[in-house]
Amino acid sequence: MPENPEYVVEVRDLKKSFGNHEILKGINLKVRPSEVVCIIGPSGSGKSTLLRCVNLLEKPTSGQIFIEGVEITTQGVDVNKLRQKVGIVFQSYNLFPHLTVEQNLILAPLKVQKRNREECLEKARKLLKRIGLEEKLHAYPDQLSGGQQQRVAIARALMMDPDIMLFDEVTSALDPELVKEVLDAMKELAAAGMTMLVVTHEMGFAREVADRVVFMDGGVIVEEGVPEKIFSSPEHPRTREFLSRVLNV
Amino acid sequence: MLFLADINIGQLVDKYFNLKLALEFLPHLLNAAKIAVIFTLIGEFFGIVIGLFVSLARISNVMILKYPAAFYVNLFCGTPLLVQLMFIYYALPYVGINLPPALAGVIGLSLNSGAYVAEIFRAGILSIPKGQMEAARSLGMSYAQAMRYVIIPQAFRVVIPPLTNEFVALLKDSSLLYVIQVPEIAYRMRSLASATFNATSYTLAALIYLAMTIPLTYLAAYLEKRLSRYTSHA
Repeated sequence: MPENPEYVVEVRDLKKSFGNHEILKGINLKVRPSEVVCIIGPSGSGKSTLLRCVNLLEKPTSGQIFIEGVEITTQGVDVNKLRQKVGIVFQSYNLFPHLTVEQNLILAPLKVQKRNREECLEKARKLLKRIGLEEKLHAYPDQLSGGQQQRVAIARALMMDPDIMLFDEVTSALDPELVKEVLDAMKELAAAGMTMLVVTHEMGFAREVADRVVFMDGGVIVEEGVPEKIFSSPEHPRTREFLSRVLNV
Repeated sequence: MLFLADINIGQLVDKYFNLKLALEFLPHLLNAAKIAVIFTLIGEFFGIVIGLFVSLARISNVMILKYPAAFYVNLFCGTPLLVQLMFIYYALPYVGINLPPALAGVIGLSLNSGAYVAEIFRAGILSIPKGQMEAARSLGMSYAQAMRYVIIPQAFRVVIPPLTNEFVALLKDSSLLYVIQVPEIAYRMRSLASATFNATSYTLAALIYLAMTIPLTYLAAYLEKRLSRYTSHA
C-alpha cells in the first residue's frame, strides 16, 4: 500500500557519498501533486545530486525515496518502470544527435511503452506545436539553437506522460537571449498543473513560478518556504548571504 | 662487394620492372589480388561481428563476460598474425584438427581483426558522451535498449574511419596467408619471381597493394570529416 499517496515525491533522510565525500547529508523533502518546488543554492551544495537520486541516476547511500507513495530505494525496484514516471531535463539537453526531432520524441514511447506509432506521432506533433517548434519535426538537433534543443528535450520527457518533471539547471548552458523561451515553456507546463522539481539559478523564475523554494548548502536543506518569504525575509544567515550574492550580480 | 656504379639503369629496369614480364604477370597478380580482397572482406565482416560483441562484453560489468573478452583481445593483439595463422594451420593438426588453407586463413583473419575491431568499437562507444546513456535510461530504456538505439548507432559513425584504416591494415596483413598456401598476392609474387629469376613481380605486387590502399586511406580521411557532424559533442 502506498504510504503517503498525497505526495508525488517524498525523500526521507537521504544521504549520498562519493567515496569519502558526503554530498547529501540527510535530506527530507516532500512534493505535492501540481506543486512546483525550486531548489536553489551555491555550486556543490548537492542540488543536482538530489535531483539525480530521485530518478536513481545516482544510487542513494542511505535513506528512502518514495514516488507516488511507492518506495524506490528498496531492492528489486523496476528502475525502467520508475523512470517512465519521472521525466528529467538536463543542462546539456542530451538530445540524440543521430535522430530527428520527431524520432527523438517517439523513440522511448515506441520501444519502452510499446505504444502505437500513429498515436506517438500524433502526440509528438501536438507537443511540438505546444512549444512552438512544429516546423522542426524533421530537423536534426545540431540544426537547432540551444533554446530550441532544450525545449525539444522537455517535449521528449513529456512524451512519456510523467507524474513529475525534474529540471537540472536547464538554462545554465544557454546563451542569455535563449533563456526566456525555455523558462516560458516551463511556466506553461507549471500552469498546466505539472508537478515540478527544479534546480535553478534563475531567481526570477523561482520567485515567480515556484510554490515553494528550497535553499540547499553543504548537502543539507538550510531553509525552505514560499518564495516571498525566502526572497524577502530569509531567516538563515547563509540564505541571506547567498541571495545577496546572486541577486546583486 | 657490389658496386652500384657497375649496374646500368637498363639492367636495373629489366630486373625490377620488365614491361613484358609485368604485362604477363599482371593478370595472375590481379587474380591473386581478388583472392586477397575476398579474404580481407570475409575477415573484416566476421571481425566486425566478433568485435561488436567482444567490445560490449569488455565494457559490461559482468565479470564472466568482461575478463574472457579482455583475454581474447590481449591474446590476438599481443601475438603476430603470422604466428596465429601458423598455429591454426600447422599446430592444430597435432590435436587432429586439419583445416584447409582457405578455412584456416578465414578463421585467422577473422579472429585477428575481431580483436582489433573490438578495441575500435570500445573506444567508439566510450567516446559517446555519458549524457546520452543517462538521457536514454531516464526515458525508461533498459541498458540494452539504450545501447542498441542510442549509443551503438552513434558509435558506428565514430568508428567508420578507424574501421576503414583497420581494413587497410588487414588487407596488407592478408599477405601473410602465403605461409599457409593461400594463393594471394604475396604467394603469387614469390612463385612468379622464382619461376623467372626476375624481381618484376615484387615491384608489381607492391604497386597493386598501393593502388588498393591509397584510395582507402583517403576515403577514411574523407569519412572522418563528413561523419563528425552527426555525433554529440555535449
